[in-house]
Amino acid sequence: MRVQRGPWLLRSIDPDLGTHRGLRGPLPRPALDDLLDLVDASGLRGRGGAAFPFATKLRTAANARGRRRHVVVNLSEGEPASVKDLALTLHQPHLVLDGAALVALALGTREVHLVAPAEHPEATQALTTALGERRKADRSRRLRWRLHQASPRFVAGEASAVTELIEGRVNLPVTSWQPTAIAGLKGEPTLLSNAETYAQLAALALGGSAVPGTAAEPGTRLLSIGEASGTTRVVEVPHGTPWPHVLTAEELAGPVLLGGYHGTWAPAGLLDGLTVSHADLTGAGVGLGAGVVLPLPPGTCPLRATAGVTRYLARQSAGRCGPCLNGLPELAMAFDGFLAGGSLDRVERLIGLVAGRGACAHPDGTARLVRSALAAFPDEVAAHAADGCGAVDLGTRPIAVVAR
Amino acid sequence: MLDSLTQNLSQGPMLWYLNRGSGVALLLVLTATLCLGILSARAGRARLVPRFVDQQLHRNLGVLSLVLVVGHVVTAVADSYVDIRWWQAVSPVGATYKPLWLGLGSIAFDVMLLVVLTSLARRRLGQRAWHALHVLGYLSWPFAMAHSVGIGTDAMSSWGRQVGLGCLVAVAGAATVRVGVDLLASRRRPADLSGAPL
Amino acid sequence: MSRESDRGSDLRVDWPRCEGRGLCHELLPEVVDLDPWGYPIVTGPVTRALRPAAREAVRDCPKLALRLVERRD
Repeated sequence: MRVQRGPWLLRSIDPDLGTHRGLRGPLPRPALDDLLDLVDASGLRGRGGAAFPFATKLRTAANARGRRRHVVVNLSEGEPASVKDLALTLHQPHLVLDGAALVALALGTREVHLVAPAEHPEATQALTTALGERRKADRSRRLRWRLHQASPRFVAGEASAVTELIEGRVNLPVTSWQPTAIAGLKGEPTLLSNAETYAQLAALALGGSAVPGTAAEPGTRLLSIGEASGTTRVVEVPHGTPWPHVLTAEELAGPVLLGGYHGTWAPAGLLDGLTVSHADLTGAGVGLGAGVVLPLPPGTCPLRATAGVTRYLARQSAGRCGPCLNGLPELAMAFDGFLAGGSLDRVERLIGLVAGRGACAHPDGTARLVRSALAAFPDEVAAHAADGCGAVDLGTRPIAVVAR
Repeated sequence: MLDSLTQNLSQGPMLWYLNRGSGVALLLVLTATLCLGILSARAGRARLVPRFVDQQLHRNLGVLSLVLVVGHVVTAVADSYVDIRWWQAVSPVGATYKPLWLGLGSIAFDVMLLVVLTSLARRRLGQRAWHALHVLGYLSWPFAMAHSVGIGTDAMSSWGRQVGLGCLVAVAGAATVRVGVDLLASRRRPADLSGAPL
Repeated sequence: MSRESDRGSDLRVDWPRCEGRGLCHELLPEVVDLDPWGYPIVTGPVTRALRPAAREAVRDCPKLALRLVERRD
């Protein structure tokens, strides 16, 4: 991956604690109410994919009934095309750790759980080093940090899968009858958020520079942009930046898959007049998810690319829920069948059958991807219903799957 | 008057007949319970009878088994012809009358009690714990059969042997069907995409 | 014993536990259909009239994979 310097989170890419404190100052210790005010004013949304308002999550965890509250930082980034959290872990770990510490202190939590990706030992190494630096700097041991390793599977980053991992069980989703903020670890209120969310929070609280972005949406987003060569570049983009300033002309010339493998397709031209903004994008029927941006290589059929991703997602089912275990492979096969000249009926029926029927959002996300492909590319759909689209055959090359 | 009635009852053969009768009925009902339990959990959607019927019948016959075994125990203890005490119904050791065969029956009774009690508390126990204990229920049948062969008055009569054999055939048949159906069903797996290119 | 609300309740499936045995559909076809693989599709809320049957379905599920959740709003 290539990490580019940015205006706020990535002002520095030096992971050293001394540099971090020199740049951003000491860690403040706001009371819960002050922290909530800060978050409310910023409108901070989660960066893990669901874009959930962080203030609501924090408030819920603070008010819910329970003996203790828990704080979990998810750095595991199950989405293969996403590397932004890895970038943060390697280059600005203290920003993430500051954010988690802020929340933990405000909630009265003594222990913070960090969930790192097992397939990137350098991440665990970076965190261990960073934690060592913090321990030396502050001997009071007010906070205890627990480091966990998440499996590389796609669904391992789902909230209930993470709590299962922390509680010593298999790192796969289970049914959760209540949101994690109300009943998560050991049935107690748990604030579980993405690494970048904590980093954004820390940057807000540490202050020291004007917040980039717009008045309506202050702040920035980290994007993982899949390049044609196969690498991924990580960029920090203030809200409100027009997409032509983020993507090259070539990248904008074709369709772009936004939000990763559970995301939505932006047909060519859609992004030209839009900005990197939650409001703009949801208004246009697309979403950023966890900040993954995958421009389609030129001459490629977006439907074939979707079929490839769908096959991957079907293989990534945890296999715990009948509709997902059975339905996703059948959806993948039905879609392949349609591309070879079959009918769309079975595809549409399966989309309806898998969505919303499982312990986690994996079937929903897969259904969303396929539905979005069918809606965004009516010409290609018509072509395949006839006799194929004539685009360059991808063979076995997938859509910009990461070479980190 | 009640005294003389009880005295007659405990000294006459009536209790003994009731004990034998309840024993035979129990063996049949327990066998039916076991067969239904084996069959109701089998794979496959093609069914002559809806699953809930199998399951509720299994449950009801299980309760009937418990009622019968209580009657069987009461008549045995109350009958003064042989010396069987109350506590020997649940303890596999310590009996004086045919201690081995009686003990086997006590074990069967213990298991049946365990199964019924845990089933009443199923939601509280949780599925895993409940199931682990429920599977022990299988033991009640061979122990009951052995008990009937060793201690049963009618075990060696021709009709007694036919009853025993019939029960054996029923359980063997149910087990065969269950294993067969489950094996066939497990052959059908969801689509294997391991070879497909991404 | 609290008075039952007439806002109805919802049947929820604990998906990892469900093995598609189908007793819920047998006992409560008004609310539960089956998909092509035998797993339940909850088609609507549980009305007051259907509540006893729904309770039976929850109790009889061989994997304890069903819950009846009251609607509160």
